[in-house]
Amino acid sequence: MPFVNRARSIAWFCAASVIAACGSDSSTGPSNANKSPCTGGTRTGPLQTLGCGLDTTRFTSEIAVHGTTAYTSTWGTRRARGNKINIWDVSQNVPLLVDSLIVPNASTTGDVAVSDDGKLLVVATEFTLGSIAIYDLADPRHPKFISQFTNDQTNPGVHTAEIGRVNGTLYAFLCIDPQGNSVPARIVIVDLSDPAAPRQVFVKQIGAPYVHDTFLRDGLLFLALWNDGMQIWDLGGGGTGGSPSDPHVLGTVKTVGGEVHNVWWYHDASGAKRYAFVGQEGPGSVGSSSFGDIHVVDVSDLMNPREVAFYHVDGAGTHNFSVDEANGVLYAAYYNGGVRAIDVRGDLGTCAANQREAANPGRCDLRLMGKELAVGLLDQPRTVYVWGVQYANNRVYASDMLNGIWTLQPAK
Amino acid sequence: MAQAVPVVTRADPTATRSALTEGYVSQPAVMANGEWGWLRGIGTLNLEGLTMARGELSTGGYGEGYVDRRHPHTYMHELLLGAEHAIGGADVSLFAGRGFAPFGSDDPMVRPFEKYPINHHLAQILERTVAVAAVRDGPVIGEFGTFNGDEPVGPGAPPSYRRFGDSWSARLTALPLDGVDVSGSIARVASPELPAGHGLDQSKGSVVVRFDRTSASDRRYVMLEWARTGERDHGMLITSLRSLLGEAAYCRRDIVIAARIEQTDRPEEEPLSNPFRTPRPSSDLSNLGVSRWTTGTLSVDAPALVADWLSGRPFVELERLSVAPGTPAGIFNANDRYGSSHMWMLSAGVRLHAGMMMHDRMGRYGAALPPQPGTSMRGMESHEMGGMPGMSGMPMNNSTSSMTCRL
Repeated sequence: MPFVNRARSIAWFCAASVIAACGSDSSTGPSNANKSPCTGGTRTGPLQTLGCGLDTTRFTSEIAVHGTTAYTSTWGTRRARGNKINIWDVSQNVPLLVDSLIVPNASTTGDVAVSDDGKLLVVATEFTLGSIAIYDLADPRHPKFISQFTNDQTNPGVHTAEIGRVNGTLYAFLCIDPQGNSVPARIVIVDLSDPAAPRQVFVKQIGAPYVHDTFLRDGLLFLALWNDGMQIWDLGGGGTGGSPSDPHVLGTVKTVGGEVHNVWWYHDASGAKRYAFVGQEGPGSVGSSSFGDIHVVDVSDLMNPREVAFYHVDGAGTHNFSVDEANGVLYAAYYNGGVRAIDVRGDLGTCAANQREAANPGRCDLRLMGKELAVGLLDQPRTVYVWGVQYANNRVYASDMLNGIWTLQPAK
Repeated sequence: MAQAVPVVTRADPTATRSALTEGYVSQPAVMANGEWGWLRGIGTLNLEGLTMARGELSTGGYGEGYVDRRHPHTYMHELLLGAEHAIGGADVSLFAGRGFAPFGSDDPMVRPFEKYPINHHLAQILERTVAVAAVRDGPVIGEFGTFNGDEPVGPGAPPSYRRFGDSWSARLTALPLDGVDVSGSIARVASPELPAGHGLDQSKGSVVVRFDRTSASDRRYVMLEWARTGERDHGMLITSLRSLLGEAAYCRRDIVIAARIEQTDRPEEEPLSNPFRTPRPSSDLSNLGVSRWTTGTLSVDAPALVADWLSGRPFVELERLSVAPGTPAGIFNANDRYGSSHMWMLSAGVRLHAGMMMHDRMGRYGAALPPQPGTSMRGMESHEMGGMPGMSGMPMNNSTSSMTCRL
């Protein structure tokens, strides 16, 4: 509807205050109240909806699945604040909410992760002061609080917190929000060897304007530095003598459009480690719109990574990824664009002329290469806005800001 | 000249989902102007950082990390040095320092209402390091300014020089009749909400029609305003925010009755744990959609009480607000946020003034100042003689008849 059409403008000026005074309260946001439950999808086969667990009291954000338990964090303020972690039994197609926990001193819990051994749950909290909250998963359905790490370097908020091991030691990689004019974004690395007493081992101001996320694998840390691109650090696996307390920069690439949000370094079934997938998060409107492509970066030379391909969806932008590496399928949360499954096997940087982008450096277009396998959740009668996705248990689990958690059939 | 507005406001409901009543000293300011031949100096010290650091209750208002409260302005609100000279029949000026970019309408502080309109950040560009050139030739005024795009991040924020010149604005004003001016403005503002850059850029437009005329017995003021701000990422339009505002005031026997109606789009952001604050710089996923606010405001000022150099004018102001989904609606839900989509604000206070009123067209410098109605004065003259002792927010001319209508 146009803002004020010509015919109505005069009437508005005369009547606006009267209308304002006499109207009745009404909902002003998207509502799912009168729509059918989440079993109403029409799609069958790859990315078919198998079930869902609803939470419309809060906005759902990230998801982490370990075994038959899924943890979803919450974001912002809906009818309640985003200080809650929902714990779901995902042993069946329909997730069952079995418990929840309230994270102290948090208004947003935008990131949640489980350690590789399944013993710890780590939650990132915003805002002032930021922190990570650490829980014992001896009983995975009922986490027990261990400690909360916060200091002056985690202020005003920990936006994301990835966890992973370097030479057997568990670390958390905290991406800290910038604040005002004087507090730039920074990364903080925390040793979690003793989860009751986390120990900061490194901090650095970095990112333009954000350092948004990290991805750790084989002693290499991939950093999403927004408009400074993606950077690769040697923490012990790069052969340059780097460590978590003394990282060495290996290489940097500025992907087209910047806004580097997240990274996944892909190891394919043959053991090849050629590609990193970079998510771009352009500006969007939560619940309505999003923007940003998946960028494929050839990292076979870690010192000189270069972008070779991309995947674009009109009218939607990507968010977090999960890759089924055995089958070569990248699953991407795509906000209002649902969940996307993309075939990432083979040489992604070689394509026919008609599959190549004319502008920029001639990148291959994965869509034109026929790499898109399936689109999920857009068949639902509910509006979706998908934040995160994880492939596990031969299922795809998606966290949806507006609705909660979904279970989908994998693409392969 | 000094001013302050001790005020008590009740907002029902507001961001706490409940009614809130607060009092503070709003708009405490000291203004001074100087003139040395063709050299000019303008300074405004704003002390809101001391008197209302938490912001002033103003449901619907937003900007600079505040929401539903008006943010305190910077201590150094204006500090400019300029030159003004007549060249070939035209009046020419150049000012530089911290102040207003040539864009939009007069600052709300010199208009008839205590509460700022919601469109403050759509309709003015202020507290920037600016260089503004202006030419007035007969009934036409042209202005061009360049400045830093980033907004101040707090009351104590110093002028930003690092990004000076990354943004610009221009305003063309026509003076077709005595007491009437019509202006159109455009602006390009680089990353106003991220000081380090990399944020959304703004393309802005504004059209203003202003009427201000005084007779022997009364004074009439009307202002109509259209403003638009497009937020862009790498040139691509992301959000479009628009505003339509009309306000009028009538003064007779030193009693002022004023009314304002407004419809303005507000970008919705995720608040912090304090529901009146939003993160600055904003996080990567901060846009919750757009809300559309419709407001109606009625204000009554009693005759000023004058004691020597000090005057005080009691006032009461009532505002009714309604909020509905904008485009895109996003996930903003007024009932979740406020418990209602309709709100009230009631304010009462006293406008205190000391010294001679000046700067009644705040936001214009030198040759950009239209002449006072009924006079041939222009330029800096209006800074020095524009208003009346004890005058409040309503703009004022200096004609003799206005003595019957002290504002």
